[in-house]
Amino acid sequence: MAPDRDPPEEPLPLRLLDMATQSLNLVGSVLIFGLVVLVGADIVGRNLFSRPLMGVAEIVSLSIVIIVFLQIPHVARMGRISRSEAVEVFLSRRAPRLVAVVNTVFDLLAILMVVAVVWGTWPLLQRSLNLGEYVGAIGSFTAPTWPVRVAILVGGSFLILQLLAQIWRRWTGIAPR
Amino acid sequence: MTPFEIGLLALAGICVLIVLGMAVPFALMLCSFVGVWAMRDNFDLAVRMLSLSANDAIANYFFGVIPLFVFMGFVVSETGLGRDSFDVANALFRRLIGGLAIATVGANTIFAATTGVSIASAAVFTKVAVPEMVSRGYNPRFAVGVVAGSSVLGMLIPPSVLLILYGILTRQSIGDMFMAGVGPGLLLAVAYAVGIVLMAILTPGFVGTPGTVHSAPMSARVLLAKGLPISTLIIVVLGGIYGGFFTPVEAGAAGSIGALLIALARRSISWAIFRRILLNSGIVTATVCFLLVAAQMYSRMLALSGVPAGMGTAAAGADLSLPMLLGLYLALLILLGMILDSTSIMLIIVPIMVPVFAPMDVNLVWLGILTVIAVEIGLLTPPFGVSIFVVKGALDDQSITLGDIFLGTAPFAAIMLLVLVLVALFPQIALFLL
Repeated sequence: MAPDRDPPEEPLPLRLLDMATQSLNLVGSVLIFGLVVLVGADIVGRNLFSRPLMGVAEIVSLSIVIIVFLQIPHVARMGRISRSEAVEVFLSRRAPRLVAVVNTVFDLLAILMVVAVVWGTWPLLQRSLNLGEYVGAIGSFTAPTWPVRVAILVGGSFLILQLLAQIWRRWTGIAPR
Repeated sequence: MTPFEIGLLALAGICVLIVLGMAVPFALMLCSFVGVWAMRDNFDLAVRMLSLSANDAIANYFFGVIPLFVFMGFVVSETGLGRDSFDVANALFRRLIGGLAIATVGANTIFAATTGVSIASAAVFTKVAVPEMVSRGYNPRFAVGVVAGSSVLGMLIPPSVLLILYGILTRQSIGDMFMAGVGPGLLLAVAYAVGIVLMAILTPGFVGTPGTVHSAPMSARVLLAKGLPISTLIIVVLGGIYGGFFTPVEAGAAGSIGALLIALARRSISWAIFRRILLNSGIVTATVCFLLVAAQMYSRMLALSGVPAGMGTAAAGADLSLPMLLGLYLALLILLGMILDSTSIMLIIVPIMVPVFAPMDVNLVWLGILTVIAVEIGLLTPPFGVSIFVVKGALDDQSITLGDIFLGTAPFAAIMLLVLVLVALFPQIALFLL
């Protein structure tokens, strides 16, 4: 313990959660760079060697979903999900308690929605696996759809955890908002 | 209740929740979910709508443009190409009255052609141009106003995330949207420059008293070394799309690779910077795309309710002329821009309003440019202009207050309004390249 350090060290579960969130974020970031390389390789292959890469469109379309859901827990952690802060700024001095209650209700409603997304994606994953669902055309290129479902399940679950952590932080004063 | 009424209630619910401060994507999800549930009296259907949207809404090749152009923008801004464009523009405009301010506008114009988010321009030029202008005797208020005002060029001059979003929402070609942004973007830049000269002559107290420039002119070689890389990038990206060599997605990748190669050649990139670029690209991409996912749920709910079609019928029945309707629409966008970020506004308003305009034989590309300009005016107006906050956040000189920035930006917001009216009156400004 370092008592002279400004922000008190967070409890272990929160630190573990942040570490996991950051790793997901890193995977998503690497995927973005992967897209740059993939599309670039296709351009070079097509124009210089007249040999386009197969399945670039399919891979791009699936990766973008994966990127977004792997990174959204981190965006929530950074407090960067778009919102209007007008009322909060106006009320935070006058009625800080009210602001905290309202924001907590909003967080709980948000959690319900993400739970619904995760809940509804589960049968989609089973279908993807059982039927071997894919995008693309047989004979040229196909990509399975299950990684997208998995990314939504994982990213959605961590988003739920980060929203819960936000409530925890708000009420224990670890990071007052 | 009829689905139409439920749809209207859901819409009202979204507005109330967002104003109260609920995160925009979650407010969209919640009201769409409850709306579908109530309309069809089927809970499972509502859950399925939510999860299917999450899985399909952005699973499309064309959404690849978002991460690629965002990535390219961050490479350009993090590796010093923004500073170069400022030096070049400064060398060109130094003899004019208000030359440094005009150079800032010019540099923003060049920079805008390589980046898709106006917050990137605002952050870069606050660091580069404000200290320079203040040290030469410009009024700090005016200096930050120039930077905040010209940062909106980033969203109008292609590539631009807002133009991409509008193209996606209304099924217009992203290439067409990009080309239509060029004319109004250049017009706005020229209008800013003229405005600066006029202000420097008519209201020297507001502009400040910049001393004359004594520095030696930049040699042609240095000018070339600083100007060539960024102009090459612009030619590759915009020329590639216009000439039909690249899809917008490919142009984004080519631009990213080009910017990385330039940065490597100039040794202006390190692992730490590369990591920061990736991290920031990820955050912006996820923020925008998550909003898009929620907006897809919202527009599916709207489609079920029949609200957009109803609005169209109502507008036709109310006998509103197109200019009046357009005026109301643009005023609404500017008002919303005062409390909300531009992406959210577009995603909420465009799906309701475009069906209203579509039967009136309106060119949707032109409407998109008007939409983007109007939304961006809101970015410059109090109480919650996003660009203003970015400028404030990037300022080293903490004696410049938010109020100063808003006041300094006001003339530029007024010039934007003028350009908005011009583009509304003369659609050819936007459409001549198509």
